[in-house]
Amino acid sequence: MARFFSQTRIARSDSSELQDASVLVNDEGVIERVGPGLDAPEDAEVLDCSGMILVPGMFDLHVHAREPGAEHKETLSTCAEAALHGGVTGMVLMPDTSPPVDTGNLVKSLQDLISESSPVQMLVSGCLTKKREGTELAGFFGMANRDVAMLTDSDRTIPCPDLLRRCMEYAKDFDLLVTSHCDTPALTKGGAINEGHVSYRLGLPGIPAISQEIAIDRDIRVAQQTGARLHLQQISTANAVKAVGCAKEAGTSVTCEVSPHHLLLSEEEIEDYNTHFKLDPPLRLPRDVEALVAGLLDDTIDAIATNHAPHTEFEKSSDFGSAPFGVTGLETAVLALYDGFVRKGVFGWDLLIRKYSDQPRAIVGLPAVRIEEGQRAEFFLFDPEGETEITPDSMKTKSPVTPFLGRTFSGAIRETVLG
Amino acid sequence: MSDLQPRKDLLDIESLSLDEIEYVLENAVPFKQLFQRSVKKVPALRGKTVLNLFYEPSTRTSSSFEVAANRMSADVTNFTVSASSIVKGESLLDTIETLQAMRSDYIVIRHQAAGVPGIVAQHTRASVLNAGDGYHAHPTQALLDAMTFREVYPDYQGRKIVIVGDVLHSRVARSTSTLFHKLGVEVGVLGPGSLVPQGRHPFMTRLRDWDEVFEWGPDAVYLLRVQLERQEGQFFPSIAEYHKMYGMNSERLGRMRERDAYLMHPGPVNRGVEITDQAMGYEKSLISTQVENGIAVRMAVLHWLTPETQKD
Repeated sequence: MARFFSQTRIARSDSSELQDASVLVNDEGVIERVGPGLDAPEDAEVLDCSGMILVPGMFDLHVHAREPGAEHKETLSTCAEAALHGGVTGMVLMPDTSPPVDTGNLVKSLQDLISESSPVQMLVSGCLTKKREGTELAGFFGMANRDVAMLTDSDRTIPCPDLLRRCMEYAKDFDLLVTSHCDTPALTKGGAINEGHVSYRLGLPGIPAISQEIAIDRDIRVAQQTGARLHLQQISTANAVKAVGCAKEAGTSVTCEVSPHHLLLSEEEIEDYNTHFKLDPPLRLPRDVEALVAGLLDDTIDAIATNHAPHTEFEKSSDFGSAPFGVTGLETAVLALYDGFVRKGVFGWDLLIRKYSDQPRAIVGLPAVRIEEGQRAEFFLFDPEGETEITPDSMKTKSPVTPFLGRTFSGAIRETVLG
Repeated sequence: MSDLQPRKDLLDIESLSLDEIEYVLENAVPFKQLFQRSVKKVPALRGKTVLNLFYEPSTRTSSSFEVAANRMSADVTNFTVSASSIVKGESLLDTIETLQAMRSDYIVIRHQAAGVPGIVAQHTRASVLNAGDGYHAHPTQALLDAMTFREVYPDYQGRKIVIVGDVLHSRVARSTSTLFHKLGVEVGVLGPGSLVPQGRHPFMTRLRDWDEVFEWGPDAVYLLRVQLERQEGQFFPSIAEYHKMYGMNSERLGRMRERDAYLMHPGPVNRGVEITDQAMGYEKSLISTQVENGIAVRMAVLHWLTPETQKD
């Protein structure tokens, strides 16, 4: 049945103004009419959307769906539910499953699994090295033939700069995007949170900022040398923003992402050894948070990506040092960013859509999603007057673990519409 | 006591108010006086149970808590968890469940991971006494250090203490420096740059060498134990070099003597590393007093804390 979204406002990436309009989506899920003063067709379901905002579906470049191999944490289908619940309609899955996705056949079988389990667009990424072991190149050709979205060893940085160079040289021939988590294992060692006065006070081993910064510098140099396309994940420090800015000025083919957590939280928020604040990379200093927001605004940072990394509440209930790194993000990203930035006027929906919808799609070669006539419906209804309390029961992910647990955000996602 | 809110657990020094600190330190004094008597026991905790739960080997702290609990007439169970039994799959929450079922009134816990006593405290009705967690805190050590310092310096405010050694990996340094700072004692630190972290408390004055230390004018020098097993970490080139740079030797002891400065150490001492044999006999060493005060302070803490089990 056709659906008529009456008297709503449409958010766009190319305009800071919301556009007053009604939207008709036909029974095939295609947007048939967009415009002010439209009348609802008789056979359509009419939804009074006054006060609501229609926002193009978001796209997350960095998701661990855990299937196959760790279905107790998340499955493709619970991941898809979580995404829709959070207004996310597309994503790239990390290859650190069990087995790791390191051949064309594995890419194909995961793609098949996705088409059976997920209504949400899920692109598959592949490993740079066999089994993510950082010793031998994985099967780039087979994976490229299966339209892999990017190559990455996920949270394992390629330890040997020579091997990284060969990966980039080889990837360039297939025009494959090389993605790096940017970490220097020798410096990160057994660290649990940012190294600084909080780690000292809590008596936890620290992860110094230079652990990420050295890796970023190295990866950028190798990208410059080889000419490969490089994407840097989860940048977290002021110096990292600076390094990416310099590389871009020099014409390097580099993009980078930041998580909502790193944009909104610093190490100061870590209280009482709450493992829901244990992220990789760790939350940094307030001045790093400021630099990340500035980098997002001045386009040094291309994209927002959550690093949705589910671990069960039980796994996270261990002591801070032993608990696994990572929290979920798909369901809280839009809400947290709206509440923390859009509502306060730091930036508008246009920037949020650019950073969390258009540009992430562009990085993996997809067209932007628009709420325009002739397009497939792919948007969510946002109620700025609503409120959303983040509780384990309200979440769709299998692992409701997030630093925002217990928070009440202004705004609510009423529905995600997928044609 | 009447002004103080009842407190269930002792997890760190940071969360203690000055009134609470004062209360514990003052109460430890009469407990210490007991030790001079032939009968050293009081019936304060008769019928109560104390579980001594040590995930890390420790003879001194564990015995000190045991003696303190015995002198309060509590029943003590020692539960030493060998490293081999902390295998993967055995979760902290399962262990806590077991502890809860034992219905102890007090749990004294030492654990290699920072924050564990806090997790245990959240999940049990017993009073939890942190006997050392990772690099985080060792609050009873800090309290006994403060008691010892105040005994020799009743006018302790404005006095100075230098902590020497591996501050980075030391829960003793964290708790003791925090407590001294709260009491108005100035804290200096001496040690190699690799072991004196940049993120340390801002109130700690960094001193580069012994000359600077003596110029700064300490009233006491607190030597931290060098963790010999950390040598693999390569934080300093050799024990010999450490001893040469930071150890307490006869020459430095002479300068201590000139100032009438006291010597403290949390024990056990590595002779020939942080301190030479000769220096062990220093007439102003407070090391044995610290051990004795440890028992008194732990009695005072047991006496002070209020387990939820007491509400039954």
